[in-house]
Amino acid sequence: MKRISLPSLSFALVMLYLFLPVAATILYSLATEWNSTVLPEGLTGKWFAELYADPRFLQAFGRSFLLSFLTTVVAVVIIVPAVFSIIVYAPRMERLVQILVMLTYAVPGVIMAVGLIRTYSGNGIPMVIITAGAYLVGLLPYLYQGTRNSLLAMQARSLMEAAELLGASHWQAFVRIIVPNIMSGIFVSSLLSFSILFGEFVLINILVGGRYETLQMYLYAKLSSSGHVASAITVTYFVLMAIITGLVVKFSRRSFTRKEVP
Amino acid sequence: MSYVQIEHLSKSFHGQHVLQQLDLAIEKGELVTLLGPSGCGKSTLLRILSGLTASDTGMIYIDGKNVTDVSPKNRQIGMVFQSYALFPNLTVSQNIAFGLEMNKISKTEIQLRVQEMIELVGLVGKEQAYPRELSGGQQQRVALARSLVTRPKVLLLDEPLSALDAQIRKNLQKQLRMIQRELNMTTVLVTHDQEEAMAVSDRIYIMNGGRIVQHGSPQEIYTQPRSEFVARFIGNYNVLTAEQLKRITPNLSLPAVERFAIRPETFREQPLAGEDICLTGNIAQVTMLGNITRYELNIGDIPVLVDTLHLSFEQEQIGTTKTLYVSPKDVIPLYDTIA
Repeated sequence: MKRISLPSLSFALVMLYLFLPVAATILYSLATEWNSTVLPEGLTGKWFAELYADPRFLQAFGRSFLLSFLTTVVAVVIIVPAVFSIIVYAPRMERLVQILVMLTYAVPGVIMAVGLIRTYSGNGIPMVIITAGAYLVGLLPYLYQGTRNSLLAMQARSLMEAAELLGASHWQAFVRIIVPNIMSGIFVSSLLSFSILFGEFVLINILVGGRYETLQMYLYAKLSSSGHVASAITVTYFVLMAIITGLVVKFSRRSFTRKEVP
Repeated sequence: MSYVQIEHLSKSFHGQHVLQQLDLAIEKGELVTLLGPSGCGKSTLLRILSGLTASDTGMIYIDGKNVTDVSPKNRQIGMVFQSYALFPNLTVSQNIAFGLEMNKISKTEIQLRVQEMIELVGLVGKEQAYPRELSGGQQQRVALARSLVTRPKVLLLDEPLSALDAQIRKNLQKQLRMIQRELNMTTVLVTHDQEEAMAVSDRIYIMNGGRIVQHGSPQEIYTQPRSEFVARFIGNYNVLTAEQLKRITPNLSLPAVERFAIRPETFREQPLAGEDICLTGNIAQVTMLGNITRYELNIGDIPVLVDTLHLSFEQEQIGTTKTLYVSPKDVIPLYDTIA
């Protein structure tokens, strides 16, 4: 009889630990009743039907999507050229930027939210814009790291210099050479940023609350009324994250610079 | 005025002098090599010549024009980087065509000139390949074609062969020289490989500590080193003090300098002329280097390297006595003390 090795057993246990709650959530979202039995009494798609027929869900999903998407796009437009300039033209500043990037981890969400309320509340700027601004800062580490790694891997400085010696302006060199080569890196970082923002609850809940209900707030509200619907929301969220993860894996493999030279 | 003229060029980084009052002249169609150890300033000089780095003081003239403050894109300089810096998202053809597109050359002309370059560097059939699909040698040839296609006034090569293995490097040295001669391209090569410098250059500038310590043809540099640094850097010269030389050749009349150099291959087993110096010593070490056998001979307490052609099947044994002859004209006085 073939013996199971310790690493295989450990791996199986970790997988079980990670996927058991996911499997239970999926099962609960499809269960007719699941209170006093080991397995659900029956299976149904009615919780999903109910969820997708609720305009409040669709609006919350749309708001989450819009907020995450727009913030990510603005963050990419601002942060990527800034990181590029630092890496290529001012590499000595990189240390300072790294410290700034790390600082964003140092402030807990609740403290940040209280600080933002005290600073910006009542000055006429909608709090949802303030939240998006805070999100943008929060995305800095993810976009910085992804862009930086792509730029270093492709030796961006040499490529810029080569392009300039061939007659290209800074802008032409950036658009024609740098951007296509870091596109997959930017895309991966953007997807990661989007998924982080999509699941964010603390800031938006404290700063904006019910005035701008996002998916996480809707989920929180549904937890007290129907566990099955809440599970259906979670499963929908999982599916979206699985799609994003699949895209991240696909695009992080599709890089011009990381392939082996024969 | 020479085709490329550099006058009193200086550059410092964070208070450290990298180039010091440097003067250099290159004639049209010449291949000049900047040779020196790592950190001697040769790559900085090349970058200043290309306009990628600004100098602190000094002037650069190309084809009679002062280009000291001209931007890299307007200097009409081609450059091959050590890392090749090929654009990963563009094919071989697109890489070569890039400079022509930036200079707004017509599409028909671009096609013609790209094809011409691909044939010149021997990459026919690889037009649609991406850099990652090419070997190191092929990538180097694409980089060369890309820098030549814009017909620059000067071609700069920053250690272009250093990442390649010995066999490919030697083949590419020949090819590089052939193309350079065919196009009569004024070329500056940076290398720390003295063999490469000897093989391809019309003239060599030897650099050390941000200064040019000697320049001349490969023959002049190799046979007439002026300083201990050049003698040691360019070959395996035996550098002896006047006192050491006096001890092993008491009758030889020597000029009043502190050090002398003798090439290891100038020693012979038979005298050719009556005035040849006769030296006898014990073999301390024997190293077989393919076609050369290298002996470390102790003449008294003075170690001397001797290279002989590897002709016999049997090596002489360590500890045996060996008598050798060297012509007095091969004892080179080292006048410069610049190290």
